[in-house]
Amino acid sequence: MKVPFWRQAAAIAGKDLRTEFRSGEVVMITVPFGAAALMLVPLAVGTDARLLADIGPGMYWSVVLLFGVLVTVRQSAVDGPAQADLLGLLGIDPAARFVGRVMATGVLLLIFESILAPVALALYDTDPSGWWWLLAVIPLVALGLALLGTLAAGIASSVASATLIPLIVVPLSVPMLLAATQVTEGLQIDATIVGWLLLLVVMDLLLAVAGVLSARTLQETTR
Amino acid sequence: MTSRRWLDLAAAGTLATALGAGLLVPPEQTQGDLARIIFVHVPAAWLAYLAFVVTLIGSVAYLVRRDMKWDRLAAASAEAGVFFTGLTIALGMIWGKSTWGVWWTWDARLVLTAVMFFVYLGYLALRRGIVDPDLRARRAAWLGILAVVQIPIVHFSVLWWRTLHQPPTLLRPDGMQMDAVFRGALVMSLVAFTVVYASLVARGVERQRLDAELAEAVASEEVEVAGAAITAPRYGEAN
Repeated sequence: MKVPFWRQAAAIAGKDLRTEFRSGEVVMITVPFGAAALMLVPLAVGTDARLLADIGPGMYWSVVLLFGVLVTVRQSAVDGPAQADLLGLLGIDPAARFVGRVMATGVLLLIFESILAPVALALYDTDPSGWWWLLAVIPLVALGLALLGTLAAGIASSVASATLIPLIVVPLSVPMLLAATQVTEGLQIDATIVGWLLLLVVMDLLLAVAGVLSARTLQETTR
Repeated sequence: MTSRRWLDLAAAGTLATALGAGLLVPPEQTQGDLARIIFVHVPAAWLAYLAFVVTLIGSVAYLVRRDMKWDRLAAASAEAGVFFTGLTIALGMIWGKSTWGVWWTWDARLVLTAVMFFVYLGYLALRRGIVDPDLRARRAAWLGILAVVQIPIVHFSVLWWRTLHQPPTLLRPDGMQMDAVFRGALVMSLVAFTVVYASLVARGVERQRLDAELAEAVASEEVEVAGAAITAPRYGEAN
């Protein structure tokens, strides 16, 4: 019996999320690590309240990007070659596996961003005007980072060193960082932000297409 | 003489001629001799783009044909591209120090070029990290395709953002804005550096082929197995 594509993807996502919630690595380790990084910056640049309010949004997105990579690396560490072989033997569609992993990583990144946002707001006393736009930006960045991270994990899965994934993800995610930062800054000065939101949407779409198209090739070369 | 040797000679000849022309043009009105840096900086930037586009072509062709020659082309071109991107950044920094007074400024073109440099360093690191040639070729091909998205972003960054860096010198919507003497020397320089790039890629492809042959020869060598000296007893035979 052929299991529908989306049920396969949902099963993979459910498995990854259950594994994560049992270990609690994102919430118990990565989030406090990110919050600690947000606290360290004022110690390095000085505690001038005006300066901190200005750099707050940029710092938040930088921390989301850099520490969000840890979430994607964590997912690839859980999904080892033995599990990949097992999923292959069970007849799981490689594209469904990719989509499932993106869904799980996206949810974890969304949790990560949602917890860190009020922390950054409190620490940097940033102007919260137009905050409802973040309801669109935060999920778009989470999805983009999840897509890019899952794709990079697939490409680098045969490499012994896990540090290669950040080297692939971080430079390629610069357009996302730019767009997210520009939206947040644009909201504070009432500038047009539609173009930057569009960039995020286009980037997510391109990465989704690349991920689904490459899924079969990358899986057939897991070993 | 082999065709590769001819290519090397052509590269040396055209490069010497172009550099001579670059030194012979009169100093620029406002920047003086410093402007001559353009005869290396612009070709290096052009070749960075070209090299990564060739990497894209090699990557797509490999995934379609599964022929290792395309993978070798993609790899050799990426190596040359990383070199030319590094050269572009280094020369830009030297020019920036003399003109803007700083080695580095947070300008969109500069930052995005540096980002492109790191992405292709990642591409080369990925290739070094995978031993199996087929696996390496397939993984690298996908990264080679993904990474090329940065080229238009880098190129058009000077038009999309307000930057310190000047607009494109060559591929600009309103055509090249440059004095005829400078333009002639720059075109010569572009041709010369492109021949140098072709020579580097040809050498790179050959090195990759030899590396693959060496790895294959080493892998196929008969290895002495532990316990091979012990033979099974033969019953019924006289000693």
